[in-house]
Amino acid sequence: MGKFLQGKILTVILGATVLSLVAGVGSLPAAGGGPLEQLQQSMDEVLGILQDEELKSPERKEERRKRVILVVNEMFDFREMARSSLGQSWNSLSPAEQEKFVGLFTSLVEERYIGKIDSYTDQKVVYTKELVKGDRAMIYTSIVDKDLDIPIVYRLQKENGRWLAVDLKIENVSLVVNYRRDFDVIMRKEKFAGLVEKISSQLEKTQTSN
Amino acid sequence: MLKRNFFPSAGLVLSLLLILFPAPVAAAATTDLAPQPVAASAAHGANDLQDDVWEEESWEEEWQAQESLADPLEPLNRVFFQFNDKLYYWFLKPVARVYDLFIPEDLQTSVRLFFDNLESPARAVNCLLQGRVRDSSVEVARFLLNSTIGVAGFGDAARDVAGLRSSQEDLGQTLAHYGAGGGFFIMWPFLGPSNLRDSIGRVGDSYMHPYTFLDLEREVTIGARVFERVNYTSLTLGDYELFTETALDPYTAVKDAYQQYRNGQIQNR
Repeated sequence: MGKFLQGKILTVILGATVLSLVAGVGSLPAAGGGPLEQLQQSMDEVLGILQDEELKSPERKEERRKRVILVVNEMFDFREMARSSLGQSWNSLSPAEQEKFVGLFTSLVEERYIGKIDSYTDQKVVYTKELVKGDRAMIYTSIVDKDLDIPIVYRLQKENGRWLAVDLKIENVSLVVNYRRDFDVIMRKEKFAGLVEKISSQLEKTQTSN
Repeated sequence: MLKRNFFPSAGLVLSLLLILFPAPVAAAATTDLAPQPVAASAAHGANDLQDDVWEEESWEEEWQAQESLADPLEPLNRVFFQFNDKLYYWFLKPVARVYDLFIPEDLQTSVRLFFDNLESPARAVNCLLQGRVRDSSVEVARFLLNSTIGVAGFGDAARDVAGLRSSQEDLGQTLAHYGAGGGFFIMWPFLGPSNLRDSIGRVGDSYMHPYTFLDLEREVTIGARVFERVNYTSLTLGDYELFTETALDPYTAVKDAYQQYRNGQIQNR
């Protein structure tokens, strides 16, 4: 068994955080581009932001982060991710509640996966496999970082002619599934109101600690 | 002491499980492609990839999460989770921060590789137990290369020079290969998340660790483990905080991440 599993898992989830989203981040796709091309194009855009020397200065930290998030929002379908992270409960929400939840969920995911953006150095991304079936696709990638090789798989869906990521697995830990289990515990005990309150308070904590 | 009691049961479980069917993962009909490094700009590689077709069912199955692991010990597990949390904030993190000030990152990486290399004998045995002779010999070669030209394991010469990559097998995965389920979730104090199967595996693997061959004093072994942990924490400072602070119930999030992570290791050969 791996040495320090807790640490290992966290690395698994977070060690790659920057590039995980990076590799899935995107912008407008090239006309007729397949999911892999779109993913690659998006990733290049984020890598470009991360590698931009001018943006590396501390006073432009916030701008850098915002620009990355902008690209990420173009590539990920946060609404679909939020919906599937809530499972059945989603349908019991009013449209207004759904909108509120999508916003909170998006912020939470951004905190977790873009939180380590400043630790980006010179990691490389490798594409290993592309699976496409109809309007769905999976892209297998790997981040090579010194002694580590971290597999990341993106799940994409085609919506209105564009491929959007709806989940990603870092070392097989799915973002959506992990949040679904997490939310489920709160939903069962404290319902939607409790969930909203909890996400809001967590966001406050992380945003003040950063 | 605990180990002595555990070990025979690991053997027993293994032999019992040998008769159970292995659960091969339904592999999608795909073509693996040679990994191709992509820098910031290049868009090459895309054209070489093929669109593959596979069974409708395997698509969803491959992504679907397995059933949540049973957790009959939850109240106790939560106590240990809190304990480990305090251990991190009150001991590990402060120590690792100081360590991080004095030890350059490259050296920390080398230290991680050194400890990782010590797991090779157990990996070799586990590959063999799973009938993977080739992977087993890769582990042996890695251990020999890294322990010698890899300067006592402080580099990964086997990977860098000979292109040999570890399969990262362990006894928990071997037991799973023969059909063992996780059993139930266990949060060990000090050691972190595990389950029944992997805990047994961990004890078994410890018998194949150089610390055991060398018959090191218990205190020395513990000291080495603590050092390894501090070094690891130093390399991953901030990750624990980020993950737990972006989870609503960190215990549940860690439990699930552990399960998904291990299932992935078991399925990916």
